Amino acid sequence: MYPLVDDTTRKYQANQTKKAPVDHSLIPPCQAACPLHMEIREYVDLVAQGRIMEALQVIRSGNPFPSICAYVCTHPCEEACRRCQVDNPIAIRALKRFALEFGGDRMIQAEAETTHHEKVAIVGSGPAGLACAYYLRELGYPATIFEAHSELGGMLRVGIPQYRLPREVLETEVQRLTQMGVEIRTETRVVSLDLLFDLGYKAIFITIGAHQSLRMGIEGEDSPGVIDGATFLREVNLGLKPSLGKKVAVVGGGNVAIDAARTALRLGVHKVNILYRRSREEMPADPAEIDQALEEGAEILFLVAPTRIRGENGRLCVTCVRMELGEPDASGRRQPIPIKDSDFDHEFDTLITAIGQAPQTPVDFHVSVGRGSTIQVDTVTLTTNRRGVFAGGDAVTGPATVTEALAAGRLAASRIDDYLQHRYPLVSKETRESVSGDLLPETIEMIRKIGRLEPPILPPRKRKKDFKAVELIYDWEVAINEARRCLRCGMGAEILFQDKCATCLTCLRVCPYHVPYLDASGTIQIPDDQCQACGICVAECPAKAIVLRKLYDRRHITEELDYILKSAAQSTVKPLIIGFCCQYGLFGTGTLAGLWRGPGAGTWIVPVLCVAKVEADHILRAFEMGAEGVFIAGCGEQCARENTALWVRQRVEKVRRALAQIGLEPERLQSFILSATRENLAKEIDSFIEQVAGLYLASVITQEVKS
Amino acid sequence: MIVAEQKTLEEIRRMITPYARVLILGCGTCMTVCDAGGEREVSFLHNALRVAQAKSGNGTHTFSEYTLKRQCDPEFLDVLSDQITDVDTVLSLGCGIGVQAIAERYPDLPVLPGVNTSFMGMAKELGVWDERCAACGDCRLEETAGICPITRCTKGILNGPCAGTKDGKCEANKDMDCAWVLIYKRLERLEQLEKMRRYYPMRNFRAIPRPKRLTSRISVDMGEDNEDNG
Repeated sequence: MYPLVDDTTRKYQANQTKKAPVDHSLIPPCQAACPLHMEIREYVDLVAQGRIMEALQVIRSGNPFPSICAYVCTHPCEEACRRCQVDNPIAIRALKRFALEFGGDRMIQAEAETTHHEKVAIVGSGPAGLACAYYLRELGYPATIFEAHSELGGMLRVGIPQYRLPREVLETEVQRLTQMGVEIRTETRVVSLDLLFDLGYKAIFITIGAHQSLRMGIEGEDSPGVIDGATFLREVNLGLKPSLGKKVAVVGGGNVAIDAARTALRLGVHKVNILYRRSREEMPADPAEIDQALEEGAEILFLVAPTRIRGENGRLCVTCVRMELGEPDASGRRQPIPIKDSDFDHEFDTLITAIGQAPQTPVDFHVSVGRGSTIQVDTVTLTTNRRGVFAGGDAVTGPATVTEALAAGRLAASRIDDYLQHRYPLVSKETRESVSGDLLPETIEMIRKIGRLEPPILPPRKRKKDFKAVELIYDWEVAINEARRCLRCGMGAEILFQDKCATCLTCLRVCPYHVPYLDASGTIQIPDDQCQACGICVAECPAKAIVLRKLYDRRHITEELDYILKSAAQSTVKPLIIGFCCQYGLFGTGTLAGLWRGPGAGTWIVPVLCVAKVEADHILRAFEMGAEGVFIAGCGEQCARENTALWVRQRVEKVRRALAQIGLEPERLQSFILSATRENLAKEIDSFIEQVAGLYLASVITQEVKS
Repeated sequence: MIVAEQKTLEEIRRMITPYARVLILGCGTCMTVCDAGGEREVSFLHNALRVAQAKSGNGTHTFSEYTLKRQCDPEFLDVLSDQITDVDTVLSLGCGIGVQAIAERYPDLPVLPGVNTSFMGMAKELGVWDERCAACGDCRLEETAGICPITRCTKGILNGPCAGTKDGKCEANKDMDCAWVLIYKRLERLEQLEKMRRYYPMRNFRAIPRPKRLTSRISVDMGEDNEDNG
């Protein structure tokens, strides 16, 4: 009955005991990993409940341009997801996209009021610039964006291919900025900052990106037919159709190389070879993108690097050398070393170089520039060496992700606000909070393994034809089931009333995950980074000393039940039947949708976040307030948590015994647990409802006969 | 720990019939641990009684509930002083000791027992308790390898096993282990089998007076230094 704890657990518990008092403010690892610190756990949970509009609100509150992130985010959150320790991470980015599409993000209008008079200039309209403008407008500053190209978006427009980020998505977000009153000046290249100050701008945010491709430094690099990746993608994205010939080589292993290769394929090139000097393992590009490129027919030559390019009769003869991997270098990847006398020649029509990019800061900006031509800033305040000049995004970090740029833009806006209001910049709260630690082996063992559900993608044959978005959107049910996999890190149970705790050890014994433990002083501890928030101990604690950490979860059932009872009191439909139904599975996925028709019409549903949280008291209260029948419908095998059905059955049995003693038919209370063999749950519930109606009728007749 | 089980709803409803205002009083110590009268059980009983009243249509009780840390110490009962004036009876979910403590503290108030106090025991597993001690006041566990024959042998004999043991089980209850076989096996393990050979004289339970009283206080003679401490 009592599991033996292993060494890892003992060490963990010893550490926990040292760490006093217990920290209740752990943030989930996904949120910690997100450059924007988005409340991922919250919105994934809302998606799991089918409350998509609310999920959208949470998403929008933490991200200025969520629809862009929903397409192109490199999702560091998924790498940090603790579900990785169990099976696969939650598909956070795809769920965000689902929430945006189903929640109607396109319809949301943005507004802003000008409350300050200090004008701010934003040089560059990439994600950092756009985000900065967005938040400056929210803070009430007049903001102007200066963009050298004809359209806004920076790398979002000229770098990222359309099949990864459809242009209408970008248009919608830009449209919102215009609505907010951001002044936009396209085809305006800023050459001097002094001029901007002369024009009355009080602060400037430089976010010019990193558009300058790095040179390979080999002979023949300037031959006609050699083009750099950034220029190539820019040309295609701005509507040109460069002629590439039939055979194309792409040099590099990052996302730009993959983008260039896939774009070339879409332009009708017959064969694309990616030359990469390391092996697949070291490739920095997103693995899913690499797979998609391979599916589309791109070929990757690993451990190959070009050494010389010769233009011959309009074609390129590229001499390559084979490499082997040596010791890890500064970047932690294994250093490629050329193999002697392994040269070979390859013929191509076009060669695209994509070995990295750097910012190109005009000298007249007079800002100090550091390693890799990046602008030097203070990492906390984002200030440059010039007063009132801030910088962020790729121009400061070198090529990075869209989300990091958005975060930089947001930080810049708040720092510019601090600067203009003469405030001392404060470190944000997120960076100080501690993150949930790893799960313990015995907890992992008990967590149900549920495979990750991916959104559908277009088949390679179809997607190669044009620049349509490759990834499609989840179905409602699939999305909800995917969101339900979330472990809700740190949202679990805690012993709120230590003085009430009788140390009866019930929690320790009922927990399916072996989370509560007795510390050396004989006190029960429920570590917040291990608890799976199933709620069983909360409902079983004989002293009622345990509660769920999240206030909403804590009061949810009682509040919902009160609301239902209040509404039902005004209803004339008899008999009153109340159902406690799982909001995640049955409702969210629509399994119980049929309840609204047929005999089920008039049934009152109390949505619960897993039936394991329904206490015997809740059921009794429903009866007391006039319910003629009560049922509980939960998910069983489909549930993401362990043992929930067992506890529901036990509580139901307990109440049924009490009902029998009171003189009520125990049949008035029923539990329905969804399983493979009981597919037609709605029908079973219907017949239960009919049965209760019969009992009710009988009792009415008996009463009348008596009187 | 003291183990008890809640009385049936029927019995409880019968007991409270004469009283209009009932305070259901839980105990936060043993009765919480044995699931008979902790805050959860108090609230369950409270709800069940209200449902019973609502559904039967007769009875006009008003109920209130409260759970004390411990009922068997008068100091814990002091917090009740305000509430107690507004009720006609206390339905105590404390053990028999708790019920009596309340009766002693509030001489004018009827007290009703909500549980049947059963034994002193330990948890076998979740929700299962076994009797382990009869509180005989004369502990012999040293001689019986830490297994109490008074409690665990149906006959409570001190020189077992009797002839009724079969395959290690008791003749009175075939599902129950024979305590003396358990004692033998454990003595064997501890290499103290010679203790089986000894004869332990019968004990005269009648010689132990009830009710017992114990004190852990040591009385000291303070002489004339402080007359209050006499």
